[in-house]
Amino acid sequence: MLRILRLLVREVFYTVLLILGVTALLSLLFRLMPGTISFEKNWLNEYLKLLQRVFTFNFGVSPVSGLNINQVVFPAFKNTFILTFGAILISVTISVPIGIFSAYRSFRGISWPLTMFSYIVSSIPVFFLGYLVIYLFTRYSNFIPIYSATLENKRQLLAYILPILVLGLGNDSVSEFVRIISDELSRVMSTDYVVASKARGESVIRSSVMEGILIPLVTIIFSRIPFLIGGAIIVEYVFNWPGMGRLAFQSALNRDLPVLVVIAFLSVLFVRGGMIIKDIILGFIIPQEM
Amino acid sequence: MKRFYFEKEKLSSEEFYVPLHKRASVRDVVSIGFGLFVVTYLVIFFLISITNSFIKDPMKVDIQHMFMPPSIEHIFGTDFLGRDIFSRIVKGTEAFFLPGILSIAISTTFGLLFGVISGYYSKTISSIIFYFLNIIDSIPRFILILIVIVIFNPSIYLIMLFVGVTSIPKVSSYIKSKVDTLKKQRFIEACRALGLSERSIIFKHIIWISSRSVLIIRATLGMGETILIETSLSYLGIGVQEPIPSWGNMVAMGKDFFFQGKIWLSTIPALVILITIMGLYLLGDGLNSIFNERVSR
Repeated sequence: MLRILRLLVREVFYTVLLILGVTALLSLLFRLMPGTISFEKNWLNEYLKLLQRVFTFNFGVSPVSGLNINQVVFPAFKNTFILTFGAILISVTISVPIGIFSAYRSFRGISWPLTMFSYIVSSIPVFFLGYLVIYLFTRYSNFIPIYSATLENKRQLLAYILPILVLGLGNDSVSEFVRIISDELSRVMSTDYVVASKARGESVIRSSVMEGILIPLVTIIFSRIPFLIGGAIIVEYVFNWPGMGRLAFQSALNRDLPVLVVIAFLSVLFVRGGMIIKDIILGFIIPQEM
Repeated sequence: MKRFYFEKEKLSSEEFYVPLHKRASVRDVVSIGFGLFVVTYLVIFFLISITNSFIKDPMKVDIQHMFMPPSIEHIFGTDFLGRDIFSRIVKGTEAFFLPGILSIAISTTFGLLFGVISGYYSKTISSIIFYFLNIIDSIPRFILILIVIVIFNPSIYLIMLFVGVTSIPKVSSYIKSKVDTLKKQRFIEACRALGLSERSIIFKHIIWISSRSVLIIRATLGMGETILIETSLSYLGIGVQEPIPSWGNMVAMGKDFFFQGKIWLSTIPALVILITIMGLYLLGDGLNSIFNERVSR
């Protein structure tokens, strides 16, 4: 327990350091923008002001839209969180069986088309996949709503399905998961202790599942978060999903840099939070590593 | 991610010099062949489009032949202004080819530099370098691109420069883990004992051995990434602008007619993107399993 606590303290400290660096980078970029109205002559003062706003989570009012940034960004962040979380679940449920299949020698014949499927699905541009799904579901079935602005009754929850499905299938996650899982699993299955347990007649998959699937899966899931946020921008734009990515794109069009900086800051928090959770989970799985 | 690669390298670095012909399976040969086919047609398309020969004029508007389905005269049909889709696809390679090479060059050069420095020298230097790399790594790439577009102007070369910068951390952490394992190998020790200079050890025995596979694999994957980013940006309307063809804005423009049943307008460019990216990924994967010491099955 102490070990985990120490790890946590170290990671949080590193995250705070990183946030200092990221905000410095962003405020430097902010100064480079032509036509910026700068209230402070000194860069350091401006940077300290930005830091103060960041660490008190009080971002003030956007000078472009005149809205309170907190009230705009946090609901959008919640929606994006739901989208990415669901997408990760979908990718994992699809890619783990394919990875296991392609690591087994006896399933080679079946695994080849499955692996090809994972490649094809990940190479389609995400927005085209989105339009394809909308086309198919509106034309041939009326069951799943494409978009719903409010969530009043239970049926409108179904509107979550399609964006999550598209982000989970596309955006290059499935093929990456499959590649890593099958590589690691086949490496583990040829190690001595697995061969020995095979010789003893035990189930190989159970003994190799920990090292071969769980560790690479945990590492790859949490390091995919930045890519998922990038893909979420496209998917949110296709499905009109009121999330952070669409907000980022809109504020980019409006040249609303303060909102964009807040979004960047929140996504850095999201990414680093994922890293911390990953390290804690890995600390539980492989205690000798920490 | 980093820790995971360390693990992988540590366990499999013993067998570095295994001849190629013992490793390639049928699957790798098929994927590399497909990938080389894709690379070939990309290069041919690019050469055709910069010399402006052999194809119909991609900009020529022909109102009488709008929405023509694929036929002998127009192999891939015509779009909503009667322009030939095939020649627009050929011309569209210009939009990502040179910017992609720029981004690959940046990411591999600086990734190699930082990776070798942080792997070979002391731990303090490496932690300082990786602090800065982590700063770049923790901002999602797309959001950084949006910020860059707001601050500067949406030029594809500038965007690809930043794409290259954002893939530096990945390359350098990979190379650092390789250098870490190489440093402990016997032959480096032997080089030192034989009195080779530090410079020749680094350049000849570490950079050349550690980077030659990584560079090729990064180049193929980087090209795929470039195409995906260019298509996504053009779809959002902040990439290559309309009269100039690019694969992304062809799909994006064609999607308006998708629901009318004229699906080839966007499906054909999307299929070309799919085949190209799949070929590049397969090429990277095949090369990876040949170069990289994958455990023999």
